[in-house]
Amino acid sequence: KMAAAGGLRRAGWRLWRSRAVVRCQRYPPARALQASAVLRRASDELKKEPLTSSSQQHFDSPPAGHQPEQEPQGPHPSYTGQGGQESEDYESEEQLQHRILTAALEFVPEHGWTAEAIAEGAKTLGLSVAAAGMFHSDGSELILHFVSECNTKLSKLLEKEQKLVQLGEAQKKPIDEFLRDAVEARLRMLIPYIEKWPQALSVLLLPRNIPSSLNLLTSMIDDIWHYAGDQSTDFSWYTRRAVLTGIYNTTELVMMQDSSPGFEDTWRFLENRVADAMTMSNTASQVQSTGEAVVQGLMGAAVTVSNAETSRAVR
Amino acid sequence: VRLWRCRCRALLSQPAGALRARRGLAAGPEMHFGFQTVTEEERREKIYQVFESVAKKYDVMNDSMTLGIHRVWKDILVHKMNPCPGTLLLDVAGGTGDIAFRFINYVRSVRQRQLQRKLKHHQNLSWQEIFESYQKEQFNSLGGSQVVVCDINREMLKVGKQKAQHLGYSEGLSWVLGNAEELPFDDDKFDVYTIAFGIRNVTRIDLALQEAYRVLKPGGRFLCLEFSHVSNPLLSRLYDLYSFQVIPVLGEVIAGDWRSYQYLVESIRQFPPQEELKAMIEDAGFFKVDYENLNFGIVAIHSGFKL
Repeated sequence: KMAAAGGLRRAGWRLWRSRAVVRCQRYPPARALQASAVLRRASDELKKEPLTSSSQQHFDSPPAGHQPEQEPQGPHPSYTGQGGQESEDYESEEQLQHRILTAALEFVPEHGWTAEAIAEGAKTLGLSVAAAGMFHSDGSELILHFVSECNTKLSKLLEKEQKLVQLGEAQKKPIDEFLRDAVEARLRMLIPYIEKWPQALSVLLLPRNIPSSLNLLTSMIDDIWHYAGDQSTDFSWYTRRAVLTGIYNTTELVMMQDSSPGFEDTWRFLENRVADAMTMSNTASQVQSTGEAVVQGLMGAAVTVSNAETSRAVR
Repeated sequence: VRLWRCRCRALLSQPAGALRARRGLAAGPEMHFGFQTVTEEERREKIYQVFESVAKKYDVMNDSMTLGIHRVWKDILVHKMNPCPGTLLLDVAGGTGDIAFRFINYVRSVRQRQLQRKLKHHQNLSWQEIFESYQKEQFNSLGGSQVVVCDINREMLKVGKQKAQHLGYSEGLSWVLGNAEELPFDDDKFDVYTIAFGIRNVTRIDLALQEAYRVLKPGGRFLCLEFSHVSNPLLSRLYDLYSFQVIPVLGEVIAGDWRSYQYLVESIRQFPPQEELKAMIEDAGFFKVDYENLNFGIVAIHSGFKL
């Protein structure tokens, strides 16, 4: 699934680049003069990083979406200097937007999740404050970006822990402890922004944002269960995710109005909810096995009765 | 009406030469002035004369022709811009200052809200800190925002200056005489460049777009509010009827100038439609170019970023 998405992204990027190249070839003189000011600067920074490394690493350092292997290396009248080298290092608009949003996060505690924070972020990158106009004025993109970054961080953390367990350097945690630690780690990422987080939650609930925010939430819960070792293929797949989503959302809300030092009340609440979930699942399996036993008993009784009937009939 | 329609259709069926003229690229000496064909120099002169004669009645005519809706369009433009205090705006062809005044009002209200928030925060500060923040001039009512109104026509600027005085706008406003194809400003100066109902009258649109790109800071925004192409066929017919029958008559009755308003209506028909203008803006080097139709395409706002 991931590989296919990556492949699609690369194909889309190649299409975009080829479109840009075609347009350049149609109006070569104009494009050379107006080649992007900001986007190229990013590539210059990227070029400075791998100073002594080979060109191979140079291709690896720009993130995915940037693979112009079939870019014709021939003479490009539209790009200045250095043959066709410049054309490979243009970052896309999305990457620039990512950089702006990341820079904007540090202004959120002061300005909230608003276009002002994005404008301040753009300023730190050397762009005009008008660049905030690229985003919606209610800050939705900033919040979604932040949530997706947190989820990525959580995934990396869980992956690292899993590697340690596989290498035998750490003990495999029991399920309830694992879930507790994962949710706690994820919620701790909210702490620097906790004052403005209620505003963010309300924006995430706007109808326009619900598909994306729901998507991010479900993929995070999925990730946690995956690293917890869940391989269920029956209905319990759904129940597990529903239960964990419930735990996560309620704990988040408790955290919003928690004023205890170090959020101890929240972690205690989390512990209790996870314990409840475990008991519930034990009870459920107990109920199931009891139910099965009862059904078997009834079946046995029915068979006995029918045998008695037939033997009586025969007699 | 039929006569105008035939001329319209004839012009639209002309080959590439006329198309290039429509796009504002000099195809030799031939250019359009409304439905007439003139040279570049003649066109500039004629347009200058048009605006010289309508300058005094410009606002009144706008209100009567669009039934006051042009105010809403301009409000939407400034809302879309969503400027924060400290923004430097260049309003080209902004003669009578409509966009400039709206910008100042918007920034002022945003600034007020900001200051209120700061004051609430400041209630916990010591006197020394409050004194220091006053020193830093943080309580400036516009927060350092400025707007430069640039127009090629002296009469329009005069009317604009009078209006500013009359309405009481004094700080953050400057008036510059200049040509959109050759702006008298340095590179990388402005945060936002707007041109409202002006780009239609520019003789070489591609040059104007290149100049816009030049004077904008990296990350700066280009906004263009202009009459555009109505795709809905029924609405398009009603709109044509209104444009060609009612507007020149209004022009004669209110401003005593039939021909200028005939030019206005014809120039709207000659202007490239939304997608074509979008392509031209992209050619000038802008990224994330997009347009928003207002009133089914009677007016469109194009936006692009210098990235």
